[in-house]
Amino acid sequence: MTHADDYILTAAGLDKSLGRGRARVHVLRGLDLTVRRGEFLAVMGPSGCGKSTLLHVLGLMTPPDAGAISVNGQVVTNDDRQRDILRRKIFGFVFQRFNLLGALSAADNVSISLRVRGAKPDGYVSELFETMGVSDVAARKPSEMSIGQQQRVAVVRALAHRPALVLADEPTGNLDSANSRALLQLFKQINRNNGQTIVMITHSPEAASSADRVMRMQDGQILGQDF
Amino acid sequence: MRALPLANILQHKLRSLLTAAGIAVSVCMLITLSSLARGSLFEIADRWESIDADLMLLPRGLRGDSATVAGSQLPDGLADVITARHSDIVEYVVPVFLWQLQLAGQDHMAAGVDAGHWYVLSGRAKVNGRLYDPDGRFARWLDEQILAAPDEGALLDISADQLGDPDHNGLELVIDSRLAGAGRYRLGQTVNTAGYDWTIVGIVPAGGMTRIYMPRRTAQYLAGSGNITRSTLMFIKLIPGVDRGPAARQIAESTRADAVPVADHRDKLTSKFRMMFVYVDTVNVIAMGIAFLFIMVMLYAMVLQRTRDIAILKANGASNAFLLRQVMAESMIITAIGTAGGIVGSFLAAWAIQVFRPLLTVQITIRWIVIAVAIATVGAAASALYPAWRATRVDMVEALTLE
Repeated sequence: MTHADDYILTAAGLDKSLGRGRARVHVLRGLDLTVRRGEFLAVMGPSGCGKSTLLHVLGLMTPPDAGAISVNGQVVTNDDRQRDILRRKIFGFVFQRFNLLGALSAADNVSISLRVRGAKPDGYVSELFETMGVSDVAARKPSEMSIGQQQRVAVVRALAHRPALVLADEPTGNLDSANSRALLQLFKQINRNNGQTIVMITHSPEAASSADRVMRMQDGQILGQDF
Repeated sequence: MRALPLANILQHKLRSLLTAAGIAVSVCMLITLSSLARGSLFEIADRWESIDADLMLLPRGLRGDSATVAGSQLPDGLADVITARHSDIVEYVVPVFLWQLQLAGQDHMAAGVDAGHWYVLSGRAKVNGRLYDPDGRFARWLDEQILAAPDEGALLDISADQLGDPDHNGLELVIDSRLAGAGRYRLGQTVNTAGYDWTIVGIVPAGGMTRIYMPRRTAQYLAGSGNITRSTLMFIKLIPGVDRGPAARQIAESTRADAVPVADHRDKLTSKFRMMFVYVDTVNVIAMGIAFLFIMVMLYAMVLQRTRDIAILKANGASNAFLLRQVMAESMIITAIGTAGGIVGSFLAAWAIQVFRPLLTVQITIRWIVIAVAIATVGAAASALYPAWRATRVDMVEALTLE
């Protein structure tokens, strides 16, 4: 028997359209989703099926046109402050395009993410830099790093505050196979050891195989799932 | 950790520097123009306050306006009337004839004062050289001319050559050290002004009532169309302990003239030149307005350019207050740099003015620096408000998914 408390994230009847006028596209179509606490979920699907939009909606970066979302047992409203607080306290994001702040060094990118949350870098951050193999570029700005290094720094930033829920959009998309393995290993490790929940969008079957559950999307809907 | 606002400024050095320079120019203008306008005027007021007198006697029609009074105004006989009627409260009366002369390319209010009273106006400063008409030869010669006149009150007919006769030279000047410096005048030099050749016989340290002193009779004769019976105003020294208010009323009553405190001259000057302050302050307001419009446009452009960065911060849970603080801090840092530059610039401008226009006075006071800093701070905060508000309205998904 399951309780509501078992789920860190639930979404029901999510609808979302993007664009305006004739360019408007119906991206999510009545999508339902539940994510258990401590679960490692992979979402797969063809390009344009709405995976990234789903992640943005679940990450409270944009409100759905219709449907309801609960995070950590809390029903999400249209109150911007509530969304800000949940993003700050619950989520950690790994974006498809890294999205590091260009004016800051790698270390400062991580520090400001912690500062927003009222925290400071600690030994765990150094460990993450070490694990992701980016300690040597900590003082460099994004423009002085390779794409792979930028992605790994973005992962460090997303995990530095030990978020309860990590939302990752194609985190291995820009990494070579060795770094991809290291990242997936790290995800598994924080998932097993810390109980952190991971929702990962990926095209890679190999990456998806690290997850506990793989959800398949098409045309803004869930097609099915594998365990 | 390097703060984000500082990092952003350093990443766009040229743009930040240009914005700071815009603010620096405005702050420099504000401090320099205000300090110049008020400094030059208050320097005159300070000099008048150095006069060793308590009251000024002015013609009633002027309503106490000492700021621009000149020429023949009060009958000299009033000095004797005051001394005779108010010997219980008056220590001395000094008639002075004011005449506008041009020297070193600038107009000056020259004071014609009897040699025996000169110390009252000059703050008892030591003269380098000598005072004009030191042994009273010129005064005696002029009295003889008056006695030789056919009728009392008739206009005298004395030529410039007679006035400047070396035996009793009445065309002598004492000037102050600033005027001497500005005009590179030296003792014994002959200068031409008002159509006459004058000899500089003394140079006195600056700080006295005026920059040019001359024999009162000469001033009266040359500027008063030959009428040597009237002076411009009279300075009255009261006996120590006498209350100025009642004394001024008593003297005014008996002379039918206005007796006002010498200290009122500052207010009269300020009031007379109020339009100049309005003009200067208006120019300053416009300059500051343009500077802050500049900073607002810069910050707005920054917000538009950095929507992605702002979206990243928002995605990480940054609150609106956090984003506001970042934009405000960036504005404040640039403004602080600009303001500091403007303050330094104003001191450099003051120095340059003293070097190239030594007769102008720039009095930079803490008050104007504080005013400039306060205006800059408020302006920077106000200019940052709209861009900061725009930062909080950034659409995260749109910004993060844009290439």
